[in-house]
Amino acid sequence: MESSEGQVALSSAPASLVQEISALWGEQLGAREVGPEDDFFALGGNSLTGIKIIDRVAQDYGVKLSVRDFYLAQTPTRVAELIEQGRAGR
Amino acid sequence: MRLTPGPARAVDLGGVDLFDLDLYGSGDPHPVWDAMRAKAPLHHQVLPDGREFWSVTRHEDVCRVLGDHREFTSERGTVPTHLGQDDVAAGVLMTSTDPPRHTEVRRPLGSKLTARAVKSWEDSIRGTIRRFLEPALDGEPFDLAERALLLPAMVTGPLLGIPEKDWAELVQLTAMVTAPSDPHFRLGSEAATLAISHHELVTYVKEWVNHRRATGDEDDSLLHHLMSVRPGGAPLTDEEIALDGYSILLGANVTTPHTVSGTVQALIERPEQFAKAQADPGLIPNLVEEGLRWTSAACNFMRYAVDDVQIGGGTIPARGAVVAWIGSANRDESLFPDPHTFDITRANAKRQVAFGFGPHFCIGAPLARLTLRVFFEELLQTFGSIELAGEPEHLRSYFIAGMTHLPIAAQKRLTP
Repeated sequence: MESSEGQVALSSAPASLVQEISALWGEQLGAREVGPEDDFFALGGNSLTGIKIIDRVAQDYGVKLSVRDFYLAQTPTRVAELIEQGRAGR
Repeated sequence: MRLTPGPARAVDLGGVDLFDLDLYGSGDPHPVWDAMRAKAPLHHQVLPDGREFWSVTRHEDVCRVLGDHREFTSERGTVPTHLGQDDVAAGVLMTSTDPPRHTEVRRPLGSKLTARAVKSWEDSIRGTIRRFLEPALDGEPFDLAERALLLPAMVTGPLLGIPEKDWAELVQLTAMVTAPSDPHFRLGSEAATLAISHHELVTYVKEWVNHRRATGDEDDSLLHHLMSVRPGGAPLTDEEIALDGYSILLGANVTTPHTVSGTVQALIERPEQFAKAQADPGLIPNLVEEGLRWTSAACNFMRYAVDDVQIGGGTIPARGAVVAWIGSANRDESLFPDPHTFDITRANAKRQVAFGFGPHFCIGAPLARLTLRVFFEELLQTFGSIELAGEPEHLRSYFIAGMTHLPIAAQKRLTP
């Protein structure tokens, strides 16, 4: 993990991005409504849906998410933050 | 879980929770299974979240559930961690497929893994095992259970086509699949641990296959063989190759280490059995069978009833999940007299079902048997005595019965 105690809080991702990620999850998890704080696993997510979502994020946003970060993030809001971080790091 | 059960105790079968990880991490499931075989050969449990499953524990019933795919299908998943949600890989993964499709995929792979085919590996396996045991030669504490996790990768890596640099990572990932709640392996939640390990293993095989395609390299490895089998006349899809490759990696890695550790522990606790095997190496093949029976590392497998089915004096309703407890079947007193006695001369030890039974019988069994025989030949040849050098620790898993730590100290044998 790269975060350390002294680090400042992460800037939260734009609401539009959170919404797009929620929609992407909804689409991959069988056409359902997904909220920004919904839990990936509680929604029935698994590794095969995870593989598809990570592929789509790479395609749509040009950010290659780390597999571990993705599953440990667990909500659209936190995944959107990972994408923001990924974009910032380029 | 304790392999030698503690003192007999009253068991309340109505209140027993077979998915309680403490029962396996620090508890004693054998008295529970003993009571189930005697009083509730078909047992029903409802989990707090409403999911329910039936259990069979007698040898005869376990064989029937595992052996008859017309009554008990594998197509909705076969491991109890997936209880209640149909396995995402169902019908694709070989282990979650019924005949005839299953037979078509399995046959060409099985032909590479027969006892005759693996015999040619014996010398290289012996060399690997000597290297494995070498650090124990100085008599210093040696954590057999921890180190044994890597042993199958050392043995099967070349056969599968996996380079040595990847072994440690793959072993870590396969251990996460089998014990996602064990503090040694957990990453975040249990669900996250399972997803991360599935994802990375499947990705590993996919990238392996892509690399092979790109370079055009061909070899005799098992993963390469998966790319060339043509069940029903058509090759496997990339997804099927990735999932079957995952399954083969899992099967290779996660059980044998625990049979090694648990059998060595049984020998440490029973010096007379150790001496007997040392005096007569001809007993080692039977020692291996008794060790497989005793440890039953694959503790259970799951099936789903196709229709209402009568078994164990009761009825499992159509579509009900049934868990076949291999660890219990291997201690069934109706087949194995004094089942909780470890006896390397047991006449029918070979009737154990540690490798399962029927169409899904472990495809790697001949290789596992060979590896275990060579392991115990080398162990008994090299060491005159073995003692415990610390407290054993057990795996927190209701699916794989095993150990995470077994510190031992061995003394070199003086008269080989």
